[in-house]
Amino acid sequence: MEVTISTAELLTTDGIPLKQSLRKAERRNKLRAFLLVFPLLLFIIVTFVMPIGDMLLRSVDDSQINSVFPNTFEEYKNWDKGADELPPEEVYKSLFFELANGDKRQIGKALTRMNYAKSGWKSLIKKTTREIKKIVKKGEEPVSYKDTFIKINKFWGDPTYWYSFNQMVNDRSSIYYWNALDRTFDEDGDVVLQDEKRRMYIKTWLRTFKVSVYVTIFCLILGFPVAHLLANLPLRYSNLLMIFVLLPFWTSLLVRTTAWIVMLQQNGVINGILVWLGVISDDGRIQMVYNEAGTLIAMTQILLPFMILPLYSVMRVIPKSHMRAAQNLGAKPAMAFWRVYLPQTIPGISAGGLLVFVLAIGYFITPELVGGKDGKLIGSWIAYHLKTTLNWGLCAALGGILLGIMLIFYWLYNKIVGIDNIKLG
Amino acid sequence: MSKFLKAFLFVSLVFAPFAASAVTVASWGGAYTESQQKAYADTYSDPSSIVFENYNGGLGEVRAQVESGSVTWDLVDVLPSDAITGCDEGLFEDISSEIAELSTPGPDGESMLEDMENNGLEYHSGWDCCVPQIFWTYVVFYDPDAFPGEKPDSMADFFDTEKFPGKRGIHTWATGVIEKAMVADGVSPNAVPTVLANQTGAIDRAFEVMDRIKDDVVFWSAGSQPLELVKSGEVIMAIAYNGRVGAANLAEGENFEYIWEGQVLDQEYLCLTAGAPNRDAAIDFMMHASTPEAQAEQAKYITYGPMRASGIPIIENNEPWGPGGVDIMPHMPNTPERLKVSIVSDPQWWSDYGAEIDERYAAWMGN
Repeated sequence: MEVTISTAELLTTDGIPLKQSLRKAERRNKLRAFLLVFPLLLFIIVTFVMPIGDMLLRSVDDSQINSVFPNTFEEYKNWDKGADELPPEEVYKSLFFELANGDKRQIGKALTRMNYAKSGWKSLIKKTTREIKKIVKKGEEPVSYKDTFIKINKFWGDPTYWYSFNQMVNDRSSIYYWNALDRTFDEDGDVVLQDEKRRMYIKTWLRTFKVSVYVTIFCLILGFPVAHLLANLPLRYSNLLMIFVLLPFWTSLLVRTTAWIVMLQQNGVINGILVWLGVISDDGRIQMVYNEAGTLIAMTQILLPFMILPLYSVMRVIPKSHMRAAQNLGAKPAMAFWRVYLPQTIPGISAGGLLVFVLAIGYFITPELVGGKDGKLIGSWIAYHLKTTLNWGLCAALGGILLGIMLIFYWLYNKIVGIDNIKLG
Repeated sequence: MSKFLKAFLFVSLVFAPFAASAVTVASWGGAYTESQQKAYADTYSDPSSIVFENYNGGLGEVRAQVESGSVTWDLVDVLPSDAITGCDEGLFEDISSEIAELSTPGPDGESMLEDMENNGLEYHSGWDCCVPQIFWTYVVFYDPDAFPGEKPDSMADFFDTEKFPGKRGIHTWATGVIEKAMVADGVSPNAVPTVLANQTGAIDRAFEVMDRIKDDVVFWSAGSQPLELVKSGEVIMAIAYNGRVGAANLAEGENFEYIWEGQVLDQEYLCLTAGAPNRDAAIDFMMHASTPEAQAEQAKYITYGPMRASGIPIIENNEPWGPGGVDIMPHMPNTPERLKVSIVSDPQWWSDYGAEIDERYAAWMGN
């Protein structure tokens, strides 16, 4: 018997090859799926990817000032600092005309920028521009632009003002990152340490880091037993306990922070009780707030639910029989806990730990209120520069470093634990 | 549910045109905005056309609004250094000609700007875009009950922990503290801004004075904190915004004493955002809010002083001006005799050196 195998393509009823028809249907499905997620994708791009990209761009962008003083900066680069104490005449001349003819607002923005490089630029440029406009109005042409500037204000003969141009003469600049690490550029454009008296960013970074790590650890220590109880108590008790966890979570941050001040201050509730009990004397009241201890206590309490909730949702699904089985097979309770229970909670610990750490590293309102002299964390400075000095480049650099630290943590975490291990429930 | 939604849509459609034409004023909130509502909006020809919104100060949001082209705040209530920066950067619109033309002159025919100069102020570029509001001040206060014997009455006392042992409450940024330290070091209050601006090493000198009390300082960061610190006995005296102390004395029955010497007066302005959606209506309201009468009116509700000199006599001649028949002049920071022992903070200098000094202050604080 002969078996014939048709080599002709399979056709659908309307004569189109099956493969083609299937491919078409699949494409349509893919498109439909894509259209379904498209709004979300767009949302993420617009609200997440673009702002972060914009922030990272701002942290290296110095184009605004370069568009205001292009000629001055070009001439400035020709200044041989070894040979001449002050920049050549052409620099002064370019600046003269760029101030005389520049757009007032653009110059206004530029001088906000210049003031980051050296304090005092704002007034100096404003006064000088007024005088220069008078000279131009009179129609006089200065014999020496350099002398004209120095006559207007003696600071124009101070090379330190000119050296600060080093921080601005490039369209793309790393200066904001260096500033965020207590460093600046010297007269040759080399990176040097900031003036000793105002060095504080490194210290603040370390403090932020320390507080975040401590808070995460405290949250874990305090949250683990609570989550375990929540997961294992009978429903009616665990519901009540859950309300205790959630109630503060829903209370305003400021109310909770203020409540901690009332509790912890020297004439506060805790000190009062301790004195009443005779544990401490009236003169020996403990300083528990307006210092780092206050920050740690308040932040731990405020962030605790972010540790408890993921832990709880992971613990809830760990079968109770596992512990019993381990003990049945001869493990002491501690060993059973260590070898059987704890490893299964790792996804919850990771999720809670990361959540608390990420939130803590950007915290600033609570530490400012209860932290006293140690209350300024890096978030405070981001807010300060965003609102008060308008130094958005430095803000972006601080944010960029923060993002970098988080990515390093993420990478480390992935190496050690594995990111697919993280679980919120 | 759908009925509710329909009703909601209907209501918002009906009211949307009105909402759009209202002048939005961003201000600091709390008792301060309430006093503005009563003194400026309620006395305005069309009170319902003014809507206040709270913000936390600084120019961050204003710059974001102007740069993105979606301006929602017509007017912003700002500190003088922000008025200067905002006006220089074009975040606020230069309306100097409108101000010259439309502002209400003082009783002797002096222009509004001259009226301000009579109050010890000097022109800065903020004056091109903004109208004056109130003088507020960083003042030291204490509870007299905490001092059974001699009471502190000078900046030297504030910075002297041997004479008056106990903790001091001061804020976590430099403005105000630096000036007070200079006074404690013997500089005459009126001369402090000049000394700071012209004498090399003046800042170092201020920090040296501050070092004397550093171990006895509780640092605060929110305006309500110093009141709480003094009330609870956590500190024996503190720097605070005078309006907060005034409110505690007038409304809460406290009996705090001020140390007016070395108080640091700072200004407050109402500025027109560039590209404000209701520009003309906003300017009209600005002119109303900067009349001497409106400024004096505000003192009824909060103990901040009029920035126009001619506002003071209105209060003086009509005492009791305060709530419930209370004299308000004892709480006004800028009476002529108090101005003699005050520092009028120099916003241009702070806008030049503020960032650097704040960083140094933070380094000092955290050490």
